[in-house]
Order: sequence, then structure tokens, then C-alpha cells
Amino acid sequence: MHILVVDDDPLAGEMTAALLESQGHNTLLASDAMEAVEQLDAHSDIKLIVSDMHMPLVSGLALLEMLREQDNHLPFILLTGDTPDTTLRQTPGLNACLRKDAELAWNLDAAVKQTLALNG
Amino acid sequence: MSKPAPTLHDKLNQLRERFIEQLPSRLAQTAELWQQSRTTSEEQSRLAPELHRFFHSLKGTGRSLGFERLALLADQAEEALTSSPTRADIDTFISQLLLQMGHEQQHLRSHHGQQQALAAVNSFELSSQVEPLRNKRQRLIYLCDDEPEQVDQLIHHLRCFGHEVVQFIDTDTFFNAVLTRRPDAVIMDVQFPQGQTAGTETLTSLNKLTGQPLPAIVLSAHSDFHSRLSAVRAGCGGYFTKPVKPLDLMLAVDELTAPAAEEPLKVLVVDDEPEAAAYHALLLKEGGMSVHQVHHPADALNAMERFSPDLVLVDVYMPVCSGEELASIIRQQPEHLGLPIIYLSSETDSQKQISAMSAGVEAFLTKPVQPEELVSAVRLRAERLRLLRSLMTRDSMTGLYNHSTTTELINKNLAQAHRDNSQHAMAMIDIDHFKQVNDTHGHLAGDQVIITLARLLKSRLRLSDIIGRYGGEEFVVLLKGINAEKAATLIDSLREDFALVDFHAGEVPFRCTFSAGISSFPAQPSTESLRLSADQALYRAKHHGRNQVVISTELTDDR
Repeated sequence: MHILVVDDDPLAGEMTAALLESQGHNTLLASDAMEAVEQLDAHSDIKLIVSDMHMPLVSGLALLEMLREQDNHLPFILLTGDTPDTTLRQTPGLNACLRKDAELAWNLDAAVKQTLALNG
Repeated sequence: MSKPAPTLHDKLNQLRERFIEQLPSRLAQTAELWQQSRTTSEEQSRLAPELHRFFHSLKGTGRSLGFERLALLADQAEEALTSSPTRADIDTFISQLLLQMGHEQQHLRSHHGQQQALAAVNSFELSSQVEPLRNKRQRLIYLCDDEPEQVDQLIHHLRCFGHEVVQFIDTDTFFNAVLTRRPDAVIMDVQFPQGQTAGTETLTSLNKLTGQPLPAIVLSAHSDFHSRLSAVRAGCGGYFTKPVKPLDLMLAVDELTAPAAEEPLKVLVVDDEPEAAAYHALLLKEGGMSVHQVHHPADALNAMERFSPDLVLVDVYMPVCSGEELASIIRQQPEHLGLPIIYLSSETDSQKQISAMSAGVEAFLTKPVQPEELVSAVRLRAERLRLLRSLMTRDSMTGLYNHSTTTELINKNLAQAHRDNSQHAMAMIDIDHFKQVNDTHGHLAGDQVIITLARLLKSRLRLSDIIGRYGGEEFVVLLKGINAEKAATLIDSLREDFALVDFHAGEVPFRCTFSAGISSFPAQPSTESLRLSADQALYRAKHHGRNQVVISTELTDDR
């Protein structure tokens, strides 16, 4: 079972992956939406996607929308550098939207557990 | 949830180092992009997304890695780029921010700078795997002083009260920590290497940045006007000069962080028209109050018994029993003589309104009520009763329940416990050799001992526990939903911490201890037998050498 981490900033992606791995998950990395789709095609055991919000060409939200249109309903968690507002948090098909800050480790852990419990 | 393991700590530190090392080239590249974007409007619109993404990413990643100052600079740049209309000096503003980021990178690149920035984050990452359950009254306190040896005693006392204390020796680390995890209170020195009022200026900056003033107390070696003025400007709630008596400062922190009103005001609405009752109840709930409705006057007395309202709102015209008649019935009960009653009526005749007042009604509101008028009229009178009741039911020196109120509350709780088949424990706590404290050190010192023990009980026990002062130096506690053994363990840990507190009488230090007896319900079925049993256990604790906790056993008590 894998969690797919999507981030155009390699260092940020590695940090997110490190947090998830410390919480007992295996991770795969993608640096943009195209790579994410390739990873999803190549690995049938991906159970959750954690994606950065601001990426060039295809943003995290656009990736989510694209996947839903393709009938992919894997749970999706979004990471943003700003405080997520209500509108963003309530995006259809989005399981959680978290702020990138020093609390990310704990917030991500809780969000992943809750998301997998609801979608397991 | 568990905190990240040490291996994660190492991994994150590696990522931090890589982040710092690659930052100069990223900043240089961004500076070049910025210059390029200023050449033409076409270049500006083409490069804007990339610039925004850089600063946004820098903010999120920097913040996640604990580089809070860097994140703030990136946030300012991002905001400047996205704000409309564009600020006039954006050229120099962005260039200056990029320069400042470069300086911050150089600072972080030095071993000392990185240690400073990460000290706050590291202290969280490396602390114990399992976060202990904090009860509502335990607080997180940040202490910022560049002379740590002078505050050891203070930290010792704060921890005796169960508060979590994090110590900082410089303002930068403290600044990052506050943004990372906001404390309940701050103890701040004034002078630091960065400046004579750098400590208080840091507080001022944080207050402006977060929009929320930090509850803070100043602890300073200086007592000059300039230092005090800077403390006032930082919104500090107290000013202490070194050397400080740790207990005095600790009590001030406790006062500063004491939770505000613990319960919403309770209002009982009596109206035979359910829709009207629901409407007025809704207005009051939106005003932050707890509201209970009854639609038949006959139900009012039972509701008052169960709900214990701070105020009753009564409709005047009810066919079975008018509001006036109900008010008279309420006043027949001695315990409700002071309870505020407000009428709701469509009566506009002021003469009749005045006549209604003579029945002991506090106010007369004419329907349809103005929402603000209803809420403020109710709140004013309910709060007045709450305050009056508090003065009548609580001990003035400690704020704990007094003897009669404690007994009454325990009676109520045991009546409920009989119905619920629940289990409680009682502790009788008595300060050892208290008369000797008063004789040797004076009544002021004795009072401080009593106040300190009261504060300790309040901060370490649960909100649901009943804590009363029974006499001079004697306290009684009902610990709900707990057996005698667990209660004894809890009280014993308080005993150990209380014994570590350093009191002062003038310049003479001394310490105090207490003894306690524990009894349990339903083994003891009534308040009186519970108290008697605990008292006998307390007597045995005193007789066996004091400074200990003894559990009552029925067999022994029968001797």
C-alpha cells in the first residue's frame, strides 16, 4: 500500500514523504500532475494522494478535478502554504486541506488516519 | 497521536540543511527573474506566476521546516505581488526582501543560527512520544531570559503547579516558538544583547503580527521608567524586578492565565406559547447563554431545581397561573429569594409595569422585544446574581467553595451518584503544623500558604471535582468517578509537589507539608459518613507522622 505525494518542489515532497514514512506508510513521489498520473497507472496499490496546492501548469486542485473526471475516487489531501479558507476546505472530493507549518506532522497524521478510516 | 521519532528528526534536519544550502542559488535566480519581470509589462505577466510560486513555496516549506522568520519574509513578498493596487515602492520592497532573505540564509547557515531557529522545533520533536493529557487548567508557559540560572527556582515552582514550562535564552528562538505553538502565558526579560528593551519589543512585534495580545509578565533586573514604559506598551500584565520571590511571580502568572467564566449563564424561560418560548430562547442562546424552556407554570419549580438558573424569564399572561402569581410562588422558596425574574408582556401601561415591580420582579420587557435589549437585560441581572452567589458561596481568600456550599454540592452529587451507581472519593486535606507557621512567620505567610495550596488544588484537579475550604487550614475535595486508591495516588502527587514549594516570610524561607485522609462512596453512603471516614483517616495520617496520605478502611475505623 502506498501514498502518492505530489509536489513540484523536490525538497518539500521529500519532507512530506518523510513525515508519512515516520507514521508507518510507504510513499511514492511525483513532481507534477503528469508524473502523478503515470504513478497511478504503474502502481495499483496507491490508496491516498497528498498533493501540494500551488504547482506550475496543473495545480493540486486541477489534479483533483481531473482525477474525479476520470472516475478516480482515491482520497485526496491538499497541502497549502496559506491558511485554508472554508471554500477551499469544502471542495467536493477533497478529504482534507492542511496548512504547511510546523504542526504539519501532527495534522497530517490525524488527517491520514481519519481519511483512511473513512475510505478503508 | 505519537510525536515523530528521532529518525524523522534526523531526516528533517538533513532536509533543513539542504534547504539552507540551495537557498542562495534560488534567491539569485528569483532576483534575476524579478529584474526581468520589471523590463516590460509582457514579461511581468509572463513571469508573475513563477515568482508567486517561488515565494509561496518558500513560505510553506520554510514554515514546515521551522524557519519562521524566512516564512514571514516570503509571506510579505507574496502579499506584495498579489495585492491590488500594486504598492508604489514594490521594486525596492521586493529587492529588500530578497536581500533580507539572503541575510537570514547566512544566519541560518552558521551553526549557531540554525540551532537558534530550530531550538523551538527540536524541543517539540524530541520530547516524549506520547503527549500527556493536559487538563483544562494546565498551561503552557514560555520563559525567555538570557540569564537562565536566575530563573531555575521559578521554573521549579511553575512545574510544581503542573504547568508546562519551555525556557528560551534568546528572543529569536522565542519568536519562532510563539508562532509555532502559542503559549498560554509568557514571562519575559526586558534587556537582551540585541537591545535594552529587546524583550518587550519582541512581545510588541508578536502582538501586532498575530493580532492577539500575549498574556505576559515582565521579569527584569531593571526597574527604570524606560523599561516599565516598554512593558506597558507591550501590554504586559505585571512587572517584577529581580531577585524575585518565585512564588509571588508564579501566583501572578496563575492569575493572568486563570480561565474566564467557566460556565455560560443559565436562563429558564417560562411561556405557555412554545413558539414564543423558543424564539426568546434562541435569542439568548445566540447571546451565549444556556437556556431551558418550560411551557407550563407547574413545571417551573422542578425545572429550577434541576437546572439551577441564574435568571427566570416569565411571560405575564398565562391562563393557568399568571406571571405575577408564579413570581410570588418562586419567592416563597427561601433559596430563590434573590433570583432575578424578568417579565415579558405586551402591557405598555407604565403604571401597571410599576405595580408589577412591587411583586419582586426585576424588569418588565414589552413585546415584541428588541433582541439586544433582551440579551443585555438578562445578562446584566444574571451576572449580578452569579457574582452575589459567588460571594455568598465562596471563601473570600481562596475563591474555593465555603463550608456550607461544599456540603450542599456534595449532597447533590451523592444523590445523583445513588441514581447513577457511580463511585466517588473524598479527600480531607490539612496543612501540617499550621499554627506554628502563623506563630513563627506571621499571618501573612500563613495566608500565602493557604492561597498557594488552594491554587495548587484548582490547577491540578479536574473542573468536575468539588474543592472546598472547610476551615482555617483544612480543605475537602470530592473527586468524581474515581476509587480511593486512585484518589490517594493523585493527592499524594500533589502532596509531594506542595512540599517542594519555597515560601518566604520577609527573607526567611520555609516549606510546608499537608496530610490527607481518603474515603470513598458508596462504601460510605452519605456526605456525613464520607466526611467522618475521611476525617478519621486524616487523623491517622497526622498521628503517623504527617506529610502523608492515608486511605480509610472500614475495619480499622470500627476499632
